[in-house]
Amino acid sequence: MPAKEPKKSCMECNDAEFELTVRKRQLCSLCFRRFIAHKVQSRLSVYRAFGLDGPKHQLLLPVSLGVSSSVLMHILNSDRQNRLSNGRPLGYDFKILVIEPSTIAATGVPFDQNYEALQKNLPMHDITRIPFHSIFDYVPEVNDIMQEYAGSKFIDNSTQSNEERLAAFRASISTPTSRTDVDNILLTRLVVEFAKKSGCESVMWGDSDSRLAAKALAGVAKGRGASLTWQVSDGMSPWGVRFEYPLRDLFKAELLQYESVCAELSDIVIPDQPPSENVLTKNLSIDELMLRYVQNQGAKYPGVMANVARTANKLNPSTSDNAPTCSLCASLLGNVEGNSGVTVANQAEDNHSSQFCYGCMRSRPEKLC
Amino acid sequence: MAPTACFNCKEARAVIIRPKNRHKLCRACFISIFETEVHETIIGTNLFFPGERVAIGASGGKDSTVLAAVLKTLNERYNYGLDLCLLSIDEGIRGYRDDSLETVKRNAVQYEMPLDILGYSELYGWTMDQVVEQVGKKGNCTYCGVFRRQALDRGAARLGIKHVVTGHNADDVAETVMMNLLRGDLPRLSRGTSIVTSSDASDIKRSKPLKYAYEKEIVLYAHHRQLDYFTTECIYSPEAFRGSARTLIKDLEKIRPSSILDIVKSGEDMAALVPVEVRGAGKSKQSAEEESAGGCGSQNGRTSGGEMAAMEEQLAQNDEAESLETEIKLPNGSRVKPNRGPTGKAVKAQTIKHCERCNYISSQRICKACTLLDGLNRNRPKTAIEVGVGMEDEESSSTLMRQMERAQLSAT
Amino acid sequence: MANTSNAGQGDFPIPITVEFTGGLELLFGNERKHKVVLPARLEDGSKPNISYLLKYLVDNLMKDQRIDMFIMEDNVRPGILVLINDADWELEGEETYELQQGDNIVFVSTLHGG
Repeated sequence: MPAKEPKKSCMECNDAEFELTVRKRQLCSLCFRRFIAHKVQSRLSVYRAFGLDGPKHQLLLPVSLGVSSSVLMHILNSDRQNRLSNGRPLGYDFKILVIEPSTIAATGVPFDQNYEALQKNLPMHDITRIPFHSIFDYVPEVNDIMQEYAGSKFIDNSTQSNEERLAAFRASISTPTSRTDVDNILLTRLVVEFAKKSGCESVMWGDSDSRLAAKALAGVAKGRGASLTWQVSDGMSPWGVRFEYPLRDLFKAELLQYESVCAELSDIVIPDQPPSENVLTKNLSIDELMLRYVQNQGAKYPGVMANVARTANKLNPSTSDNAPTCSLCASLLGNVEGNSGVTVANQAEDNHSSQFCYGCMRSRPEKLC
Repeated sequence: MAPTACFNCKEARAVIIRPKNRHKLCRACFISIFETEVHETIIGTNLFFPGERVAIGASGGKDSTVLAAVLKTLNERYNYGLDLCLLSIDEGIRGYRDDSLETVKRNAVQYEMPLDILGYSELYGWTMDQVVEQVGKKGNCTYCGVFRRQALDRGAARLGIKHVVTGHNADDVAETVMMNLLRGDLPRLSRGTSIVTSSDASDIKRSKPLKYAYEKEIVLYAHHRQLDYFTTECIYSPEAFRGSARTLIKDLEKIRPSSILDIVKSGEDMAALVPVEVRGAGKSKQSAEEESAGGCGSQNGRTSGGEMAAMEEQLAQNDEAESLETEIKLPNGSRVKPNRGPTGKAVKAQTIKHCERCNYISSQRICKACTLLDGLNRNRPKTAIEVGVGMEDEESSSTLMRQMERAQLSAT
Repeated sequence: MANTSNAGQGDFPIPITVEFTGGLELLFGNERKHKVVLPARLEDGSKPNISYLLKYLVDNLMKDQRIDMFIMEDNVRPGILVLINDADWELEGEETYELQQGDNIVFVSTLHGG
């Protein structure tokens, strides 16, 4: 416990008293924040470099009001304020999108106060909030895709509200793994369409290194290895919007540390739900299992876990531009060019696979046998 | 609960649920579909040619026993025209190998295949019992693994056979994919899933016809055909699977039974996405020796619980090496540089070398086995063998990044 | 409370056969086949199911201390197959399957040996 030790000064500025230990270095909160901010900024330097004189880049920051994306928002906003008050060029600017958490989680998280705190904290900023079910407005074709995807398990009723329709579709998917999988796809598509409509060329996702590692492992386990090149790596998404993961060099624990030294974040952040202890492994989703795996193993082997996302980030994006893609998640149908494996062939048992990729086929509502 | 009818024949009582599509099948339909799928894999990948002599790496365990049984069945049913034989390695572990070798001998009679048994003592002058006496139980798996891989190739060469098939199954391949992702080993990620272990550096072809077969189905196939196989853990590596990637794979299977093949599919796709310039790195060094370093016969291609710790250590070392801006040195003194040919072809063009001692194919002057033997013979165990191979490929630019960070951090 | 007055025809003890293979026999004194007799009714009046059998096996037959080699989260460890009269237990309701006289239950490990 730092507080009980005799006073030591920050290893960076040698001035202030140290408050936090990060990567074996003892820093004061100011230097710590600078260190974290720097890790983020260096990931976005390309936008700054090219945007000095010409038109500013416009980026979209989806904020879940969880720790990671809120910290990212705080870092970007602090930087923005600094630059504005010092008269320095911004290089890029960003809009904030909040998809109402109460419309995503089944538990109905109250978030109005958090959202108000967010608005109060960033008064000068372009912030929008939309519900999950506005996907029917932003992605009009999703209606047909859902019907096709869920087959007889989901009969759309246009007299229902969008909220009810989305709920009915989500309810048609039976397992936690598939539900999480499909939810993430729909959320991604909603964010992408919002970005396009609001003139943003890139989306900055608030995934920490730990989260990216879990996403990579879960993606692989769900047959989505080929999609890691935009789900985990920085780069162009299949929808013509770039994806950036500026928190990729930071562990979740470090983001929590950052939150703890930023008083203004405490009203904004909705704390993570503690992982429920007594859920049987077989009832977890693959995403949750991998998150737990990364957390558990990361405590013992942080280097190994940090390496996962780095490795995925080195993969080349698939080059087959004109190859047909999945109408739901935009992954390649069939194999990546150069893969002569036959796992796909074994799977093509019904004609739906001509429209949906391997991963989406796995998450489809099961046929009644 | 009323018995369920078979999805396929709609008559007999279903006794299995297939992991990959949840189909419920009766015994006969299951056996026939399992065999047909292995046949499709063989045909789809042009694995064999008529008249080819093929050695089945046989341990007496479930995987290789099922492989032998299925290959015999298919060879007869579809007239592959293969000349099949069994090749077993006797590590010289009393009380463990004795029983499994008896199983292999019975298999040879049951499947009417010639059997060759090659001993470590014959090949290396050391049985595993003697190795363990010298080096202790910790780390002995490394010796066994290195010796074994060469032994199969040498045995095949001795028989004049150029193709060895092994019982690696989909679970093994899935585990390899996960491990390579965890250890950040892109070169191995690029080839770990392929059905044939490419062998630029060896004239012995290695393949795994059961690559798409779930371990669960292999066990059930053996059960329902009442195959004679032997199971025990190697007495020198008890509980080797604990805490390993294997556990993760089995948890995944519990959550979504298809996930093992889904990982194989992901692995195959990712292999094609590995940048060409890093694919070949380390290849010449590994190829014939690769497949699951540290794995032993009883564990097939499996990871041990200690592997993660070794990886972590290696990563930390690499990080340190990076920050010191020195090259990582291998114990034998050769400097490691990724084999980055401009197009990747430069790597392939590399000439095949032979170990100066034993003439076995090796990229090093002295092959891995001989290096280990040197250590043993000099009465100095655990000399130089890098455990977490393939870590040398770390992003070198991150050093620069880190330095810039420091500079900027202190400048502001 | 067991309702003894209600004891009918089906309330005789339940003899079954339990088999361990694929390396699991090592945890059970290296014996492959075991004859087990289960009570017709448990204390709460229910019939013994696989969950009960698992606990029974650990308490009575298992020779090895390493219980987690067999049981995890109060169920069969992932990677161990269970066959109820030669059928995958998933077809029979898994751990909720109620044992019948003469049942043959096989536990096969896929975790050992290749």
